[in-house]
Amino acid sequence: MDISSLIDSLHPLEVKVLSTFGAKPSAVLQTEQLSQSTGLEPSQLSMAVEWLLAKSLLTVDAETVTPNVSLTKIGELYFEKYSPIERVLSATRDAAKTGKRLTIQDIQSREGLEPADVSGAIGRLKKEGALLIIQGGCVESTGRPSQTAETMRGLLQQLRGTTRDLKAFSNAQQQVIQDHSVKRGNAREPFRIDDRVARSLKLSPAGIEAAQQLSRQKTADEVSQLTPELLKDGSWRTKRFRKYTISLRAPRIAPGKRHPYREFLDTVKTKLVSMGFQEMRGSLVETEFWNMDALFMPQFHPARDIHDVYFVQEPTHAPSIDEPFLSRVTQAHQHGGDTGSTGWNYSFNAERACRLVLRSQGTAVSAHTLATQPDVPGKYFSIARCFRYDQVDATHATDFFQVEGIVLGDDINFRTLLGLLNLFAREVAQAKEVKFLPAYFPFTEPSVELHVRHPKLGWMELGGAGLFRPEVTLPLGVTVPVIAWRLGLDRMAMVALGIHDIRELFTDNLDLIRSTRGAV
Amino acid sequence: MPTITIFKQDLEGLLAGPGEARQSIGIEQLEESLMLVKGELKGQNPDTGELRIELQDSNRPDLWCCEGIARQIRVKRQGSLPKYDFLTTKSKSPKQLNVNPGLEGIRPYVAACAATGYCVTQEGLAQLIQTQEKLAEMFGRKRRTVSIGIYRLAAIEFPVTYDLVKPDEASFTPLGMDTVMTLGEMLLVHPKGLEFGGILAGQDRLPFLRDAKRQALSFPPIINSREVGEVLVGDDALFVEVTGTDLSMVVLTLNIFAANLADRGARIEPVEVRYPHKTSLGKSVMTPQDLGKSRKLPVGTIEQALGQPLGAQEVAKALTAYGYAVTTKDKEVRVALPFYRQDLMHAMDVVEDVAISRGYSEFLPVMPSQFTVGGLSRIEEFSDRIRALMVGMGFQEIISNILGSPQDLRDAMRLDGTEWGKLVEVENVMSQNFSALRQWMLPSLLRVETASNRAFYPHRLFEAGEVARPDPTQSVGSRTVTLLGGMIAHADAHFSEAHSCLDTLFYYMNHTYSLEPIQHPSFLAGRIGGIVSNGIQVGVIGELHPEVLERWQIGVPAVAFEIDLTELAERS
Repeated sequence: MDISSLIDSLHPLEVKVLSTFGAKPSAVLQTEQLSQSTGLEPSQLSMAVEWLLAKSLLTVDAETVTPNVSLTKIGELYFEKYSPIERVLSATRDAAKTGKRLTIQDIQSREGLEPADVSGAIGRLKKEGALLIIQGGCVESTGRPSQTAETMRGLLQQLRGTTRDLKAFSNAQQQVIQDHSVKRGNAREPFRIDDRVARSLKLSPAGIEAAQQLSRQKTADEVSQLTPELLKDGSWRTKRFRKYTISLRAPRIAPGKRHPYREFLDTVKTKLVSMGFQEMRGSLVETEFWNMDALFMPQFHPARDIHDVYFVQEPTHAPSIDEPFLSRVTQAHQHGGDTGSTGWNYSFNAERACRLVLRSQGTAVSAHTLATQPDVPGKYFSIARCFRYDQVDATHATDFFQVEGIVLGDDINFRTLLGLLNLFAREVAQAKEVKFLPAYFPFTEPSVELHVRHPKLGWMELGGAGLFRPEVTLPLGVTVPVIAWRLGLDRMAMVALGIHDIRELFTDNLDLIRSTRGAV
Repeated sequence: MPTITIFKQDLEGLLAGPGEARQSIGIEQLEESLMLVKGELKGQNPDTGELRIELQDSNRPDLWCCEGIARQIRVKRQGSLPKYDFLTTKSKSPKQLNVNPGLEGIRPYVAACAATGYCVTQEGLAQLIQTQEKLAEMFGRKRRTVSIGIYRLAAIEFPVTYDLVKPDEASFTPLGMDTVMTLGEMLLVHPKGLEFGGILAGQDRLPFLRDAKRQALSFPPIINSREVGEVLVGDDALFVEVTGTDLSMVVLTLNIFAANLADRGARIEPVEVRYPHKTSLGKSVMTPQDLGKSRKLPVGTIEQALGQPLGAQEVAKALTAYGYAVTTKDKEVRVALPFYRQDLMHAMDVVEDVAISRGYSEFLPVMPSQFTVGGLSRIEEFSDRIRALMVGMGFQEIISNILGSPQDLRDAMRLDGTEWGKLVEVENVMSQNFSALRQWMLPSLLRVETASNRAFYPHRLFEAGEVARPDPTQSVGSRTVTLLGGMIAHADAHFSEAHSCLDTLFYYMNHTYSLEPIQHPSFLAGRIGGIVSNGIQVGVIGELHPEVLERWQIGVPAVAFEIDLTELAERS
């Protein structure tokens, strides 16, 4: 790496250290001096120095080890409350004044000291001739001073809240410090001696070159951000823009985004519109009439009982069903009416027709459209929320979308029905191969199930369709043939979204919603 | 849509007919053939030959058994339905079943036949029982309209009587028990009595079948006698009866059993049912009986519906090969269903059978050619536009169930007892979690917020979708409205942040609005506004009440708004 690209890659902290040398390239600087002149925190400085050493821009000239003394927690306590040696001494002196005799136990209990501290202090004071041990285990002051106690007091004062070089103290002081410093196996001491390593650093030849180049660049000011001011006065020309480490991971953002399932449904919607379908909307709450009777499902049909459809609690019934639809549908059910059918041959219950339910099939929306003079020719679709009385699990939802619709026209017949399904297979599922299977729906005849070879899923059922029975269309006032169709797209949606549980289509997991890429 | 279990070797035997060598059929060939019966192979066990088949057509109970499936395939292979002699040959002294007076209002009809010369096999017995169950369950509406009993013929002395007795007047040992009990006791104790007793609720006299020796056959539609009503493998003489509330359904059901047993090689002996009054089929009714009426159809009707010129001969050929009896005359066909079917309601039913018989793959798809203009509804267009604006403002779209719980939609929002808390609720609740339609959007947004405290903040969520608002002026008691709900949640979420978004929306909708202070328990007082546009309140905006956040266990402040897109779209 040449020097200038090396310089470009330097961290601002490294630049700061190099620049400090810049004025006197051959200087040998102590870590402490560097710390003062750069104004960096010790941790920052040591990072920068390590990096520069690793890049061989800096070398270590010399390394000196200085023992430094400071107070421990115990030391600070001794400063406040006096050390055991001071306290033992003063206790014996007090006793001497009043003529009392003190046992070692007395001192221990009076001063609340550890036995080890007391015996250590007595030992040292006896050695210095400051007290005597007399008969009966009593101690007695001799009235002489204790060198140790006095030195200790001075040291505690001097070292309070600071750190000093051990060598700055007299020999006697050093001795006391050594005797009372924290060592292995003896933590209860007032002093601590730490070796401080001070390095003298100097620039390597490459470092000198880098520092010189840096000082030249300094004249072209480095900035981190282009600002409107720089642009306005043109001063960006004299600036140098700090280079970024562009390989770093980008910070994460959460964009505004459509829900992946809605995005999928939007695509379906757009496809249907492009094929000439007009959108229909309906009501979430329906009468049984529009949900089932109008679709020629007899009132005794098994799919109409309480284990399939949700009934509304309040109000239970609509006041009435619009005429002439009620009468015509009643007749179609009973004996066929004018539809050319024999009907179901049972007695139609008009009150049952008014019963309110949650829409259980999208076809209810189509039934309403048929009854409101639709365009002929006409194509309609709805993406309708439907509800079924079903135990919810990985493959069953109680609340789901149905994509369905109708096609009306003079040219509608079984073959154009198949043609339409071919179109759906191609446009909606991108499938080239299709199979048409006979199927059964209460409201269509003939009925077809559309199976397609999906590019990812293999053979799958894509939907059901058929020609509406005349018992459905004629009572609603439609005289041309009508295709009714329904597409089952949830499996395709689940593949597109990469999920395996149908409940996840409506997931409450924001992380999942944010991270799903969607159908594209 | 029943799903039945059959055995491949049994099917192969039935495809050949009694006394013939089995005709083996491959699985692929079987799946192809199942198109004839609207069946789908749902599962198979190659070791035992067991096949599970779902049958779609709820109007074709004759197909809900191995015999029926085999028959439809066989007819297609042979080109026509063979003759069933028992429908035409008349016996001078048929076995008799007498119906006593009084059954009219309870369970009026009965049909029966005897079947001899077929030695019941393991597989045959399994099919008999399965067919009995499926027909009574799905075609007979859980035995209400039709139920079936099968007996050992040898034990019965004719004539049999279909009687009406008091609950303690008759007793026998029912199937599944080993003590004699009265009919009344069976209703109280026997599992089938408990399951189906409701059919006879409120009756002080009960249906009872007995023979000439006053020996009990059964207590229809509850349970058979254990002595005569338990058929075993090896039995070679059977008596079958069907009781019910609809004569033609009762006869059809017996016809299906007669056809099934005949297909297994039994000789069917019709029974004369003698009523105390006149029925639609007369006072004396021979069963089984072909009730089919022929129907005239212009070939043109069929051709038009199929979109394919076929000609009378081709139509006749296809229908004959599907079991119909057909005669042709010029441009007309006269068709009659086989005796085991009754599902011809409309000419279109014949059209489908022509298509199925020929095979759907025989029809070339043609694109509908008429031009139509596609488009979205006004509300969908409007809502799409608003959704795009919300996305532009950094909101993540969510999508939720419309069915929720009153706890979430009302109680956790502090709306209990308020106008805001009125809901469309479900009567037949399966799970409290899905028992009411959402009346507003914010609980849907809170649902996601609650589950997402680990997702990095800020959270900006929205949903545009339907809700149901109770409204007594509507005939369905509620109005389906499309709402937009938006919510912002993070440590510093604040009213003005949501207000800015709302303001932006209204600017681009080109509507003016004002915020008016209102009381709403879901929001902090003094930090809630009604959004009023054109004199109508079209929404709310505010900081969610801490108690609401607490109940949803949300640990950051949230500010939200909701607007009625349906109302605003109508003005645009």
